[in-house]
Amino acid sequence: MLAAKPVPPVSTIRRSSLFARGESMVWMTGVSLALAIAMVVGLLAIVAVRGGATFWPQAVERLETVDGRAVMGELHDVDTYEPEAHVFDAIADDAQREAARARVAAAGGETARRFLRTGNRSPSQREGFHWVQDFEIVRSSEPEWALTIERREWGRFYGIPVAFAEGESRTATTPEDAWAAFVAHHEEALDSWIAAAELEEETVSPLDGKIEASRQLARGVENEYGSGSPEHQAALARHAQVEQVTRVERAAAAARVEDLRARGGRYALILETADGAEHAVRLVDIVRAYPANRLGWWQRLGVYAARWWEFLSADPREANSEGGVWPAIFGTVILTMLMTILVVPLGVLGALYLREYAKQGALVSMVRIAVNNLAGVPSIVFGVFGFGFFCYTIGAGIDEVFFAENLPNPTYGKGGILWAALTLALLTLPVVIVATEEALAAVPASMREGSYACGASKWQTIRRIVLPRAMPGVMTGMILAIARGAGEVAPIMLVGAAKMAPALPVDGSYPFVHPERSFMHLGFHIYDLGFQSPDAKAAEPMVFTTTLLLISLVVVLNLVAISIRGRLRRRFVDGQ
Amino acid sequence: MTESGTVPRVRPQAARLGGVFEAVSAGLPYETATHEAMAPKEAIVNIRDFDLWYGATRALYRIALDVPRGEVTALIGPSGCGKSTLLRSVNRMNDLIATVRIEGDMRLDGESLYSAGVDVIELRKRIGMVFQKPNPFPMSIYENIAYPLRIDGVKDRKVLDEVVERSLRSAGLWDEVRDRLDASALRLSGGQQQRLCIGRAIAGNPGVLLLDEPCSALDPIATGRIEDLIQELKGQYTILMVTHNMQQAQRASDNTAFMYLGRLVEYGPTQDIFVGPRLKETEDYVTGRFG
Repeated sequence: MLAAKPVPPVSTIRRSSLFARGESMVWMTGVSLALAIAMVVGLLAIVAVRGGATFWPQAVERLETVDGRAVMGELHDVDTYEPEAHVFDAIADDAQREAARARVAAAGGETARRFLRTGNRSPSQREGFHWVQDFEIVRSSEPEWALTIERREWGRFYGIPVAFAEGESRTATTPEDAWAAFVAHHEEALDSWIAAAELEEETVSPLDGKIEASRQLARGVENEYGSGSPEHQAALARHAQVEQVTRVERAAAAARVEDLRARGGRYALILETADGAEHAVRLVDIVRAYPANRLGWWQRLGVYAARWWEFLSADPREANSEGGVWPAIFGTVILTMLMTILVVPLGVLGALYLREYAKQGALVSMVRIAVNNLAGVPSIVFGVFGFGFFCYTIGAGIDEVFFAENLPNPTYGKGGILWAALTLALLTLPVVIVATEEALAAVPASMREGSYACGASKWQTIRRIVLPRAMPGVMTGMILAIARGAGEVAPIMLVGAAKMAPALPVDGSYPFVHPERSFMHLGFHIYDLGFQSPDAKAAEPMVFTTTLLLISLVVVLNLVAISIRGRLRRRFVDGQ
Repeated sequence: MTESGTVPRVRPQAARLGGVFEAVSAGLPYETATHEAMAPKEAIVNIRDFDLWYGATRALYRIALDVPRGEVTALIGPSGCGKSTLLRSVNRMNDLIATVRIEGDMRLDGESLYSAGVDVIELRKRIGMVFQKPNPFPMSIYENIAYPLRIDGVKDRKVLDEVVERSLRSAGLWDEVRDRLDASALRLSGGQQQRLCIGRAIAGNPGVLLLDEPCSALDPIATGRIEDLIQELKGQYTILMVTHNMQQAQRASDNTAFMYLGRLVEYGPTQDIFVGPRLKETEDYVTGRFG
């Protein structure tokens, strides 16, 4: 009889190696993922916190220094450093200099310095920020009536109201009365300002347009009959007559506008600044004012909400560093949607041909590789291509044929939202093609066969069976394209994004859609705020806020696409 | 040749043709043993000297088969013997494979299926097909059945309603789904899906139904229902089916064709093939001694 082979006791079985059991790989993969998550969360947290804090109204501090200087403003930043010996030389008085030195030495050689946003910029005073060393501060306070004023131009103004002026007469004498008078008249002043702007838009601008149209008419005649021809002479004469009559009308309209504007412009708030000087600020120049140190929590929240609303809904002011970003939001959304509308059909049709019709072989493989490589081309290259091809070739061609009378001013022969959308469509085309091809390949062969067996043609099978089934995959491509396209800045800088373009690409004036117009874009806006702003420090918080907005916008666009994809998937794949 | 059925265990034919497998393996000519009982039946599909290649690989050799009208004909044989290939040649589904090349001819009601002027799309509308795995389209039950009409451009709701109801009744599915025609077909069970596919195949009112192992993915109860359905449909439709299941061939079919390595080995009434096959190879296969 054969004896059964003895089984070794478990404790003597050689333990498998660490690598074989995979524990180390679990740790490595886990740590890698944790790092990736930490980076993403960190980025989002920084953007959310700094971007979200921008509009919160801060207290106004008044600091007096040993040399008798006084500054007033909002605390922007604080940092701690070790001052070098010569820093103290700025203090003129010997005793005080020694006292400051002793204070810093007692604190271990370290001191803080505050970066104060002091505002009150003017043509003669261009610096809106001040550093104040902690050791030179002799008194700090938060004056009860210190006002934070957001001006239409030149940024914020900090001061204590001392009087209210209506024309030449002064009405209030205490801060309280002056503030009350401001509250009572601010809206009226702004209304008259807005009414003046609207009247100008309604009466003066059309007259300007009329003169321009008449000029173009004459130009058209010149193009057709030649310069100096009798027809041209007659057209010029007609133009001169029209211009003369219209100019008179225009002057009258402009006078009415000026009158309206002056009605609001006669109110002013007289403020005392930190250094004791008095300044008058016209009410029409004030966007928003609030006594920062008197606000309760709810009032602060009100200011915060009002600023967010202005940010989301208004046009930018002050070289984009103040006001809103509505045109940029609008431009970004329209550009992204236009890009999607252009790229999805093109990509889907291209992928359909590649996957369904083309004979699979070396040529198709090469095309596929080329398409994939297109996704790796630096985006600025697409910008250069779009500029050279769309703007200068196609756009210029359109101008010559359809808009000859505007030349040499280009209509389509320059950057515009259509060209930017086409450029981005080209940029995101590989993403859509690759995703669509994969989705098409994933459609079960049994479904196609079922359709063919019913007597369906190839196109019927594609349209009724394959495409619906592949739609969720196409949507994935679309989502990737949106995510890539909405954030691209480099290419659109060349093909139509503008620093300032208050005229939206879609508006109420005929023909309502203006694909040739330049547009604002949040991505470009961020670049512009951060690196092109004349007052970069004041714009810095806005960089974060705009970034927060851009990220949110891309997330929203993606969520919409993802929910559509989920619905399609439930319908065509899960069958709910 | 002697009368079939009268030969009990040892048959002279078996002795004479017993070397079919060897002959096939050696590439020697062989002869399909077609029972005489098939001769008087009126054929709807005639397959004549049909050869098929996948690229350089030959899959079918000189197939000659007449499918009788209104009856159920089963194709049996070991895996890879070319049953499905032959079936898919009847509605020219093999056209979808670029490397396929054929010789010989097939006729449906006397019309050639492979001559130059044939519109494959119209042809497939006359020959319905059901596949191994149920393949409902990702749309509603109603639209699945209406699909063959939709692609013909039928929009009249009354016509569609009528066809959907008639097809679902024929497929034995109407009572189960009449309340949820707008529900997605993907929500049905496997057996229901397969009956839906049969309903879809007959919605276009074809003359011939091709069933490619229609029960291989189904449980025994669902299989039983499909077999019942096949019995109900025969007469109205000519059915050509591939099956791996000997009992199913025996239960459901009138005629059986045994294929091996791309050749049609024996063809005759099901009863004769199972009870008194001419060839030893056939007997070995249907009794489970080989294959």
